[in-house]
Amino acid sequence: MARSYLFIPGDVPRMLQNMDVFDADALIVDFEDAIADTAKDEARDLTRAFLTKHGKNVPPLYIRINAVDTSAFATDVASLPTDVAGVVLPKTDLNALARFRATHEEMKKAPPKIIALIETPRALFDVLAIADDPLVVGLMLGGEDLTSAIGAERTAARTEIATARGLIVLAAAAAEIDAIDTPYPVVDDITGLMRDIDQSRAFGFDAKACIHPNHVDAINRAFVPSATAIDEAERIVAMHEKTKSMRFSLDGKMVDKPIITRAKALLKRAKQGADDA
Amino acid sequence: MKTIVVGSLESSDCLITLTPASETTIDIESVVYDAFGDQIRAVIEAVLSRHHLDDVHIRCQDKGALDYAIEARLETAIRRYKEANHGS
Repeated sequence: MARSYLFIPGDVPRMLQNMDVFDADALIVDFEDAIADTAKDEARDLTRAFLTKHGKNVPPLYIRINAVDTSAFATDVASLPTDVAGVVLPKTDLNALARFRATHEEMKKAPPKIIALIETPRALFDVLAIADDPLVVGLMLGGEDLTSAIGAERTAARTEIATARGLIVLAAAAAEIDAIDTPYPVVDDITGLMRDIDQSRAFGFDAKACIHPNHVDAINRAFVPSATAIDEAERIVAMHEKTKSMRFSLDGKMVDKPIITRAKALLKRAKQGADDA
Repeated sequence: MKTIVVGSLESSDCLITLTPASETTIDIESVVYDAFGDQIRAVIEAVLSRHHLDDVHIRCQDKGALDYAIEARLETAIRRYKEANHGS
């Protein structure tokens, strides 16, 4: 369960070579927005060569390929390195998932796991079906594209993406996959970043993406549970293991299966944070 | 006949320039030439051996690129060179 997903451009050797020192739990090598149309082949060649020579000990790595309706998509699929955790699929909706599968079938390639980038109005009406797709392991909000698509202004309160945040968290929870919040787009605004992270946590996201290494540490620290939450989760899990019951009372509150499941997930995230410290 | 340029002059990268010529030649400029010039040349020659090019001048302006980066930049450049000048 990753807390932070750091985007790095696929055509910059300095960033690829340093990917393991940024402390992100997972990395997303970008072939899409960060790469000019004339440099897509450079990103593919450079990333493939890097992973071949130096890819053994890097964090879980996803590649943001180009959207299914672009001319770069088929080449991205054909040349995708085999040793990646999966892809981030831009502008995912049900049609995009169908085309993703069809392209892999035509190429006789096994489709990789997908983090579905939810960044269009249509996708939000299909988000539960997208989350239920067996290939999809996570939903990521693409806040900037969505804001543009609905013609809204970006606000400090992020009101314009509140509905999307809620729908994505709900769909991901229903499908038992990870909900990953959109990056905070202003690199040097740490106050704004912290406020944005608080909103991510309040909505119930499991993780947050970022576009600059300076944001990784704050995200990792924020997505580690508090001592109070860890203590309560430990007592819930201990009671469950002692009684073998899926329904019991603790501190006057009813505990049942979803609360036990959430407590176990929280302890797993806490352990990951402790291991990183 | 077109000249092809791939890469950058940023740290840890290299700029590869392929220019049509009567025979294949290699020109290397590197901030670490004394220590790694021979290694850079070996990487370039290894990539060239996988392709059939005998009419190109290769200029590599290296800013401390690792072998994989030189190899990748050159592969991209050669593919573009062939597409631009040989139609394949």
